[in-house]
Amino acid sequence: MDKIRVVITGIGVISPNGTGREAFGKAIFEGVSGIRPISLFETTEFKVKTAGEVTSFKPQEFLGDKGLRTLDRSTKLVASATKLAIDDSGLIIHDNNSRSAGISLGSTFGSISSISDFDREALTDGPRYVNPALFPNTVINSPASQVSIKFGIRGFNATISSGSCAGLDAIGYALDQMKLGRAGVVFSGGVEELCLQVFLGYYKSGCLAGLKGPEICAPFDKRRNGIVLGEGACVLVLEELELALSRKARIYAEICGFGASFGSGRLNQAISAALEDSGISPSEIDFISSCANSAKDLDCEEAFAIKKVFGKESSRVFVSAVKSVLGESLSASAAFQVAAAAEAIERQAVYPTVNFEEKDGLCDLNYVVNKAKSCKINKALITASSKSGYNSSLIISRCK
Amino acid sequence: MPGVEEEIKNLVATIIEKDPAEINPDANFFKDLGVDSMMALEILAAIEKKYKISIPEEKLTQLTTLNQTIAVAREYIK
Repeated sequence: MDKIRVVITGIGVISPNGTGREAFGKAIFEGVSGIRPISLFETTEFKVKTAGEVTSFKPQEFLGDKGLRTLDRSTKLVASATKLAIDDSGLIIHDNNSRSAGISLGSTFGSISSISDFDREALTDGPRYVNPALFPNTVINSPASQVSIKFGIRGFNATISSGSCAGLDAIGYALDQMKLGRAGVVFSGGVEELCLQVFLGYYKSGCLAGLKGPEICAPFDKRRNGIVLGEGACVLVLEELELALSRKARIYAEICGFGASFGSGRLNQAISAALEDSGISPSEIDFISSCANSAKDLDCEEAFAIKKVFGKESSRVFVSAVKSVLGESLSASAAFQVAAAAEAIERQAVYPTVNFEEKDGLCDLNYVVNKAKSCKINKALITASSKSGYNSSLIISRCK
Repeated sequence: MPGVEEEIKNLVATIIEKDPAEINPDANFFKDLGVDSMMALEILAAIEKKYKISIPEEKLTQLTTLNQTIAVAREYIK
């Protein structure tokens, strides 16, 4: 039996700097930042005031007027991104193919604000008076389930909660399912909403930019001093190559391989595993869509991991961090990185890492900074690493 | 001040996402108005919260039209 090949045929993005694949691509290549003063909750009490917030989001534009009342922000973000991805792919889900279509979604903190709201109502009005229709939002698999219901996707449905790696881990899981012949199409990616509860967690943990230095999102820059939170949703349509070719779909890129590891400072193992899974060598990688998020330690660890795997090649391969314009959107972040890498392959150019002014000797890689750069990109590596020890990597290539 | 009838009609309209004027008080929630089981539970919970009352769950099956819902609620509103 021939090996099943998986390709990306649709990209749906709701991001702080653009809605839809084209607007997102234009924004990242022009270095337009989506980081702005937070409007979703009051920040007067805090030293930190900004985030990559999705403003002017109107889910009814994508999902219609009805049935949105009890859905939480995460669900509305990811359902809207799914609609954009479906439209972008030209795929039609119907009775004959819905059973072979699955969902694999990264989502980690989406239910926190819903749990908080549900509990607040029980505590203030009494447990008898909680709204039962809001209970489904309190579980982390609610966004993926609602997407299945909304779009009639009747194959497998999975939610993966591994923080900043969740978007890649979800794609890795989708890849496995497809290679095992369990799905012909998978909607995969990640979602995270910006809310006070998550903000407080990161703020009180001292992880945010602005607490120990300037409030900037400056991956790999010496001035970096913490992350800027972000939010949004990114959904990719992953499709078997044969199916995509049979319907003459536009193919953005092929998914070559995935790797993961656990433990602080072990991103290099995830990168090596992805290279091995793809059957390619470091010398074939043209570009790295980096997970650097302006954290003092993680950016450095990523640079170290890249140097460890790529050796001398690390001074050749282009590196850029899209989080410089999006912030750290956790479960959505790695999916955004994949969409950005696919866009780089499409345009044969690398988008810039903005806010890069001061070099850090500990992070000396071949960055594309402040301005996009045209170059040949056949294969791209996407990295993901979280403070809690998750590491993942994915390799995509131009489809031939 | 709207009466109980008007208040419950507005509550139901919000939950089923219809204009209050569109709701025939004798229309069947499930067959005519597209109400599902979660919405029925939500209607019951919203009425309980609004009037700070407890309606036994076995009464849920009687909430099949707006008029019947108002009648059930009236049994418990003091």
